[in-house]
Order: sequence, then C-alpha cells, then structure tokens
Amino acid sequence: MSAGYRQQPNSARKDGKRVAGKQVFPPPGSGGSDPVMKERDLNFIPESVGGKEPQPAGSHIHDRIRTGTVIGKPLPLVDSNAKVTGQAWYGDDVRLANESIGKILRSPHHYAKIISIDTSKVEALPGVIAVATGADSPHSFGVLPVTKDEHAMAVEKVRHMGDLVACVSAVDEATAIEALGLFEIEWELLEPVFDPKKGLEDHDDPIHWRGKYHLAKTNVQKRVFQEFGDRSLVENPFSSSHGKWTMAGVHHGFTEPHAVVAHWDPNGRLQLYTPQQVPHYTHRALSTVLDVPMHQINVIRTFVGGGFGGKSDPFPHEMCAAILARKSGRPVRITFDREEVYWINRGRHPSNIEVKMTADDEGRISGFDIDALIDGGGFASFGHVTSYYNGVLATAPYELGSFHYTGARVWTNKPASGAMRGHGAVNTRCAVEVGLDEMAEEMNVDPIDLRLANLLPPHSRTITGFRITSNGMREALERVREGSNWDEKFRKLPLGKGIGIGCGFFISGSGLPIHWDPNRFPHATVHIQVDMDGGVTVHTGAADIGQGSTTAVAQVVSEVLALPIEMIHVRSHESDTSPVDLGSYSSRVTFMNANAAIRAALDIREKLLDAAWDILGYHPNTLIINDRRIYYKHDPAIGVSYLQALHKAQEDKGALISSGSYRSPPMGGVHKGAAAGLAPAYSFSAYVAEVDVDIELGLIKCTNVWAAHDCGKALNPLAVKGQIIGSCHMGLGQVLSEKMVYGRTGHLQNANLLEYKIPSIHEMPHVEPIIVESSDPEGPFGAKEAGEGPLLPILPAVVNAVYDAIGIRYNDLPLTPDIIFKGVEKKRKKLKLEEATELPSPRFTHGPKSIELQKSLMKRSQEHKKRDLARQKTEDTSPYVNGVLFGFDPNIPLEDQVEGWRMATEPDPEQLAELGLAGRAWLKKEQRQMESEK
Amino acid sequence: MLMPPFILHHPSTVEEACKISAELIKKGEDFDWVSGGTDLLANYKWRINTKPHVISLSNIPGIDSVSNLEIGCMARLSSLEGSNVHPMIAEAAGKVASSLIRKSATLGGNLCLDTRCFWYNQSEDWRRSIDWCHKADCGTGSDCRVIPNQNTLCVATYQGDIAPVLMVLGASVHLIGPNGERVMPLSEFYQLDGMKKNVLEKGEFLLKVTLPKDSMKRIGSYQKLRVRDSWDFPEAGVAVSWLEGDKGSIKVATTALESIPREHKEEVSQIIAEGWDDKSVKALAGAIRKSVKPVNNTALPPNYRRSVVQVLVKRAFSQIK
Repeated sequence: MSAGYRQQPNSARKDGKRVAGKQVFPPPGSGGSDPVMKERDLNFIPESVGGKEPQPAGSHIHDRIRTGTVIGKPLPLVDSNAKVTGQAWYGDDVRLANESIGKILRSPHHYAKIISIDTSKVEALPGVIAVATGADSPHSFGVLPVTKDEHAMAVEKVRHMGDLVACVSAVDEATAIEALGLFEIEWELLEPVFDPKKGLEDHDDPIHWRGKYHLAKTNVQKRVFQEFGDRSLVENPFSSSHGKWTMAGVHHGFTEPHAVVAHWDPNGRLQLYTPQQVPHYTHRALSTVLDVPMHQINVIRTFVGGGFGGKSDPFPHEMCAAILARKSGRPVRITFDREEVYWINRGRHPSNIEVKMTADDEGRISGFDIDALIDGGGFASFGHVTSYYNGVLATAPYELGSFHYTGARVWTNKPASGAMRGHGAVNTRCAVEVGLDEMAEEMNVDPIDLRLANLLPPHSRTITGFRITSNGMREALERVREGSNWDEKFRKLPLGKGIGIGCGFFISGSGLPIHWDPNRFPHATVHIQVDMDGGVTVHTGAADIGQGSTTAVAQVVSEVLALPIEMIHVRSHESDTSPVDLGSYSSRVTFMNANAAIRAALDIREKLLDAAWDILGYHPNTLIINDRRIYYKHDPAIGVSYLQALHKAQEDKGALISSGSYRSPPMGGVHKGAAAGLAPAYSFSAYVAEVDVDIELGLIKCTNVWAAHDCGKALNPLAVKGQIIGSCHMGLGQVLSEKMVYGRTGHLQNANLLEYKIPSIHEMPHVEPIIVESSDPEGPFGAKEAGEGPLLPILPAVVNAVYDAIGIRYNDLPLTPDIIFKGVEKKRKKLKLEEATELPSPRFTHGPKSIELQKSLMKRSQEHKKRDLARQKTEDTSPYVNGVLFGFDPNIPLEDQVEGWRMATEPDPEQLAELGLAGRAWLKKEQRQMESEK
Repeated sequence: MLMPPFILHHPSTVEEACKISAELIKKGEDFDWVSGGTDLLANYKWRINTKPHVISLSNIPGIDSVSNLEIGCMARLSSLEGSNVHPMIAEAAGKVASSLIRKSATLGGNLCLDTRCFWYNQSEDWRRSIDWCHKADCGTGSDCRVIPNQNTLCVATYQGDIAPVLMVLGASVHLIGPNGERVMPLSEFYQLDGMKKNVLEKGEFLLKVTLPKDSMKRIGSYQKLRVRDSWDFPEAGVAVSWLEGDKGSIKVATTALESIPREHKEEVSQIIAEGWDDKSVKALAGAIRKSVKPVNNTALPPNYRRSVVQVLVKRAFSQIK
C-alpha cells in the first residue's frame, strides 16, 4: 500500500552534486528563492505543540497549525519591492489608450441653489469631448445606506465651497481647465452655516432635508443619547474633573491625491481604476448611480498611496469619470490637486467635547458624562457611526459606575468630515484620559495607579455590553511605566520638562457590516488556488492601503501550508476576480481576512495531508507539514515532498481550490445603537510621552514616546512597529500642529501641505514600540488590530506631559505655540510673576489621606493583576460584567440588583434641561412628531 | 497642477538679460525674472499674477559666485550652507524651507521673495471665491482682505530668512537693468508695500550682494520662529550682530513681521546710549515689539508673533555676549 519511499540522510557527494536515487535530505519541494528545505523553526511554534515559543497569555486554537514559517517573524511587506522601485501603480499611473482628461467644476459659493446651468459654450469649445452636470446623475448615494445624501454632481444646490457642480472631459488638461471657465451658472445664494453650534438651531434652508425624520428645521444629522448604570453614584463625588474641549478638524494627509480612470470596455462593462479602501462600496454606489447591475462593473483597486479613512467613501468624482466615459466612449482620467483633496476631505470632525467625570473615595470611577458636538460638514459620510463612536468607545478599558453620553452631528457648509484613523474615538479619548489625570491630580495619586486599579479584566463586558475578550491593558501600562522610568520622573522633572500617560481602546473590526445583511453573508471571503507548479494564488478583496493586509494574508497562508512566502501570490485588485470583501475600515482587514484565509488554507492543507497519507500510509495526525515537505512524525526520513503530495491530490481534478470565510459572532446588547462599537475583539494601548516645552515661546517638542500596544499577537512585528511609529507621527500632528483653518469668511485657508502642518522628521520623537501579546481567542493566531488603536493614546499622553512640564491644563487641540503662550501668560499674570520661567512646576502634595488612597489603589491593582491573569488563561471562567468593582453580582442582571440602574437611549423629559451642548438637539422634535401633534 | 503657458527667455549674459527686458518693456509686454523658481513657479501654478514672459537668469555664467565679501544672485542656498561666507548667512540659508528646495532656491530669489498672505497664496478658484484681493485683483480693483476698507496698501508679509541677516552684516545690493547698475545698502532696498516690495524698477534685477570688509569680524545670531523645523517660512525672525566689544556697532533687524524686513536703527540707539545689560536688552525688546505691526495673514496669530519678538531679541543678544 505504501508508495512512500525512504530517503537516506547524508548521502551527498563530496562535490555537492546529488546522487541519483539518493537525494540529499531534505529534498526540495518546488523551489522558491531557496530550493533547500529549512528545518522547522521551533522558536516560533508554541510550547503546547512541541515548539519553544512561550505563551504567557495561554494557548490558542490556531497553535496546532503553526509551522514556524513566518508568523511572528519580522518580514518586509510583500509589496515593498514594487513601492521602493517605483513600479507600484497608483491611481494616476493608469494610462489607457485614447484617454481623455476630466476636470471638475467646483462651487465658488458656500451654500447656493443652482437656478440654471448653461453648457453650450463649453460644448462648443474645440477639444471638449463630454460635459456632464447634476442632471446626468439623479441617483443619490452614500457610504452608509441610512444616509445616502450625496450626488455625483450637485442636483439642486451646492453645500460647500468646492462642492461638485459639473464636469468636463477634453483632449488635454489645458483644454479641460479652459472649458471650466465657460460654464454659465445662475445662482441663488443661501445663508451658510459654519458654526456647529448654529447647526443645532432652526434654519430657513436646512442643508439636507430628511422629510418626516428631519429634526425640526435644524441641521442636526444625527443625535444620540445613552445613559447606563447607577446615576446616583455620581452625586457627592469624592473627586471630579471637568473639561470643555475645542478640537480642530484634521485631515488624513495621505501622499497620493485621489485619482480615477473610468473606461467602458467594448462589451459595455465599466472598468473603473481607483485607489479605494472599500472597493466594494464603490462598486455598489456605482451600480446605483449609473443604473447598471453590479456584475457589469469591474472595480480595479490600484495601489493606494495612503488612505487612513480618507479613501473609504464612494466618491462623486468616481461617478463623474464613469459618466463622462459613458457619454464619450473614451477612457476618462481625473486626478485631484491637493486643494481638491481637502475639498472632498472626510477628515476627523471638528469637535466640541465636554467631559465630566467623578470618582468615589475608593478611587473608583463612578461616572463618565460625555457631550460631543461634532461638525460634519456638508454630507453625512460615516457620520452616523461617528456620532456613536464619540461616546461608546470611551466605555473601556475602565470599569464605570455609570455612563452618560449625548452626541450630535450637524451639517455645516464646509467640506464633509468622515472617518479617519481612530474613527470617532480619538477626540473623546483625549478628553477622557486628560480628565482622569486631572482627577488623579486632585486626589494626589499616581495616574497610572489610578488606571491600574480601575481596569476591566479579560473576558468581561463593558457597561454598554461590548464583549471584551483578550485584554492586555494592564501589561501595556506596566511596561510603559517601567520602560519610561515613570516613577523617577513623574512630577519630579524641572520646569519645561514633563512626562504624561494616555491609554487607548479600539475596535478590531466592526461587528456589523455597513450594509446590514440578514442573509448572514460573510464579512470576508478568501479563495485559494494551487496549480501543478506549486505556487499558491490567493484571491481576496482586502484592500492593502499600505498597512500590509496583503502581507498578512500571504503570511497566514504561508504559515498554514508551511510554504516560503514567495510561493504565495495574493491577487486583490479586481472585483471580477476577488471575492467580496467589505474593505479597509474599522481595523477589520487582518482580523477578518486572515481568519478567512486560514480557513481556506486549512482546506488545502487537509487535501495535501490526505494525499501524503495515500502515499506514505501514515495517518495525517502523525504527519508533520514543514517547508515543502510532509513527513512522519516519528521518523522524519519518511516523507514526501510538497510537490509529490500536491500532484497526488490533483489526480483527476487539477488545481486545488478552496474558499474560506469569516463572519463575526452574534454579540452585544439590544438597545438602540447597541451595534455601534461592537467588535469581535478590542485592542488596548498605553503610551508615555516625554516633552520639552519652550515656556517663553510656547513651542512643544515631544522627545520620547514609549508606546505599548496590545495587538493580540504580532503576526509581523515589523509591520506592527511601523504602525505604532506611524500612528505616533499622525497623532502628534493632531496634538501639536495640524488643523483645518476656516477663516472669517468660512473659506478653508490652508488647503495645501505647506500651511496644513504635518510634522516633519524633525518633530518626530524617539519612539520605543512595545508589543503586548494577549492572544485573542478569536483572532488569527491570536492577532488583533494594530492600525488605528495605536493613534489614540499619543494625544492625551502629550497633553498630560505638557501639564507635567508647566502646570497648565489645555483643552484646545492642536496645542499650537500661540495657545501655549496664552496659557502661560495668563498664569504668569495671575501669579504676578516677572518671567514665565519662574512658573512653579506641578508636584505631588501628599497628605495622609492621599497616601492611604494611593496605597489602597496599589493594593487593589495587585489583586486585580492576579484576577486578570487567571481570566486571561481561562483558569477563571466566571462571568464578569462592568459593575463588579462596585459590588454587584455578575450572575444577576444589574437592573434587578439596583433600583435606578438605567439603560436608556432617550432622555427623560425632566433631564432635557440639564443636557450639554450637543444634548440640546434633544430639545427639538422630528417632523413626524410635530405633525402628529398638530 | 498645470503650469500656465509663458515664453521663457534664456539670456547667457547680464547684458543680454538687460536687453531682453528693455525690449519687452518697449513692446509693452509684462514679464518676471526667475532664478531658482521655487517661489515664482509655485505661484504661477496657482495662477497668481502670471506674466506672458519669464526671463531666466540660470544660463548666465559667473553670477553664482560665493565668497565672504560677495555673493552672486544665482548662488544656491545649499551652496551657502557649507561655504566660507559669514556663519550667520550659512545658518540662515540652512534654515530656509527644506534641503530639496535649497538645492534650487537662490540668494537673489530669497531676497526678492514675493510677500505672502493666506488670502493671496491660494489657487485661482479659491481667490475667485473671495472675489480676489488687492494684491492679485485680476482687474477688479478688489479690497484688501486682511484689513478691509483700505485698498491703498498691501499688507502681505515678507517671510525671507536671509535679508535680516545681511542687513545686520551691513550688506549692499547691486541692481542692474537697462539703465545701468546701482548700489545701495540692503536696508534701503525694501519698500513698505506688499505689492511693490522693493525699489527694483521694471527691467531691473538684483545682481549681487556685497559685504563690508569688517563684516566677517561681526558676531551675531539669527532667531527664527516657525512651527516645524523644516519647510516652514519664518513666522518671526530676529537677527542681531555686533563687532565684539563695540556697542556702537550693534545692529538689529527683523523679518516676517511686516511687508518688508526691517533694520531697527532707532530702537537700537537707546541701548547704544545706555549700555548693554539685561535691563536695556529688555527695553530694546519691548521697543521692537512696539514698532512691528504684524497682521493676521500667516499661520500664527499676529498678537502672538508680536509678543514673542521680545523673546527672540533677548535670545539673540544672549547668544552673542
């Protein structure tokens, strides 16, 4: 039966040539850059399955498929060669024969009705090929199905300066630009709204009209109310803090401006080339706008020169290119200037955030009270979700006595805000972490100890019902404390030098897809195909935007099949060949796609092992799959090469094909908005930042950052470190210098990269990335996200460090030198000092009470550390919900234990008067309510 | 972005350059000079005050010389950085923009830098949307957007780094044009108006900068305020120098606070009279603060820029004592 053959080790000829029939052990599989098989890398195989890798966070379900090939090893991204040699093809690199150049006519007005558009002069210009206006695109679209409020070009009115009015394609750019000047448009100017606070009030012409769901006649797009927990705990607090923040809008600042090429092929199918984070949603929107079934559209994602959320909406210019190409029958290419990039925006919302928090005499956080008014600009974009994220993503990693959130997103006549790295969580996180520091200051305790004594454990539930699985928060805090030598520095540094802490918490993949789907359609699907050459082709729709998702998918397949990574070829560019994937947003790609890829690869692996079983006669349970060879566990000399097994498996059926998918498990509460912020796993992070403040000039220089991020398992430590360092850079921009400046006329004044101040290399601190691995039970090989979460803690860490340096709390972002200077002058005058350099440095002023509290916090965190370890290793599997710290029984619903335990998503009438700024949106009624009351 | 069309002239001698400019003037055709192009061409791409003709100085040999007493207009800023010119010049040149830009940018261009304003340095669409401004009114007679209701003066800000340094070193500029060459101290070169900027007449260009013999003995300091340590124009700049021990030789100049860089002779006279101590430096800093009038058209607000001039003056003096 056994057709296997025994190979003889050490039978090489002295001259290195192979002896016929006596192959050198181990034999080659199918090549790759190194034809000689490698030994198993036991350092990267977990102890539980015979390797050497220690597993402090417990074993993982994927442990037994680890082969020691690439997981956990620092690996350059698989597409880096294309990028460093300039061969990567970005949006504007696509050149089709006979192309024409498209240009977009943009609104010169902030808010105006279009009475008429006369295009006759444009059409008469020699060289003009096609002209389109809003009349050619009556269908609306939007990334979220609940808020489809965009058109390819303005249909009735323009909503911000730079809004799309019409477009034209011509033989060259100069002609197209000339043509733009020939449109004759009659406008009726409307009263614009710039201040989000004004957006809460009634307006004669609201920017959008939502019919019976419209909130009075305001410009409120979305309002949220959430109240959870025991609100009686916040009365008579032992300590409290209150911060009123103004945060400027920031832009992603990606390198590649938007560009698109549209072409209707000879069969009448649309081929659209675009650097998109979410090609699938573009695909859907194109279908709607163009009135063409999805299967007649092929969306080709080019290389993406940075996205960060700024390329995750279906964009009107993509529709424009398709419309112009359809009209003219010629390919159309549209490339943005940097200014146009700012006009399409989708950056972080300018926000007014108010955070009140309270703590009791045991240093427990009895309440968070958050109010966030966010400025959405002219369109909804992802705003519906952002409105929730600003509150709900602040509910962890701490255990809270109660949580109260009011949020509102308003339309204003500015470029639309949208999703940006750390979507919705960044601004509130900064306010919350700074608030915690303020409370620690008031209680005279160490802010790290305060945090350590209030953490939710692994395998628990937040106050709003998020399922926390793995949780490396405690380890992250401990490691940055140690790494930064915190205890020697905090409140001990001289004036102008300071150190600060900040934590982060972020979703690892949105639990619900944007297009809600009752048919349990998977979030991610991966197809694998292995043909006789042995190369593995992986088809995925995962959009690599530089974060390395292609590499991650290649890595997990490489790991499961024990093949060198150069044998794995990922094809992810075309919607024609790649299975549906929801795209690169909410840090879902590696988590969901790698899980899907593992499933697909396991299928192939099983077929290979079965074939080896056929050949060798040993059951797959006793076979080990290694670098291009499968062999018997107890005698490695008995085995077959990968190619032999593959060819056996291909008998009578040709290429091996498999499909794997991932869908997040059902979870979360049932209240309105419960789905917002749900994720199959969450990442945690803690940063310590050290700053030098030039107290006379107000300049801040961040010198060092110790950045610990819990990514579950670093599939590729090099990529994780890159994400951490990159996040620091991006976050520093928001905290120190970046802002979108709208002047007194409402015009965006710095729509260019000279005046929009992204930090240069000189502003970069030394960043010490610290990877925390908590091994998430649901993540691929235990991995969680590392793309967005690492951005969150840098903002509060820097703001807290500035306080430590000069003793002044700032509630404005960015902390430009003039803001710092103003604060210093105010304090200097208040203290009647001659020079700013005489300001006092903040110091601990311990009294007996605070020393006792500090001790009790440290004791509690020691106890919790033991608790967390047992839960992480699933030695303790008892249920744990937010509230146990306050003495509640996790086995009984909290509302049954406490009278007045709230779970409300609408305010009580008597609460209305006390709500914060954004909460004022609840004073208004929807049109349908107003009608029914009439 | 598309460069608007223009006719490029490439004279190979200074005389030819003057001849071309004279001819264009005669024909009534408008033109600009270009050296490194890092300022002019960026503005052209934004279609700011574009001209049908551009005369390039880059093909004229010999006008890029660098020595400690004479620097040609075509000397690249990068070549000043490591050269034997006065260390202050090397330092200030090294602080301009980024290394990439300094490879192309020239001394002449930096001294004749166009004034800047966030109502002005914008794309054509953007400026059309605000109905233009006084400096680039496209024939509409538009008002100034920084200080409305006055359309006599442009208040765009001069943001060059090297001019204040050359001023405190006592540099002179040599201007050449169809009507011959003239020489004047750099401190008299600038003219208070964001549009006119300097005394150059149509057809004239800045040929070279010469420095007095004792300039190499001067010790000085240039303090530049900017948000980022690369790319950014100065938000305020102070240059101070003296011949060590001779308080009568103290010179102070500021930049990026008004439409022109300015030497502060009057304010300095007091410190010269009273002697140099902490108190008199502070008084001088206060006097300079009072004399400069920044407006709201750069990245940082004018009040702040005005206030911190004092700190910059103090720091500059503490560097050279």
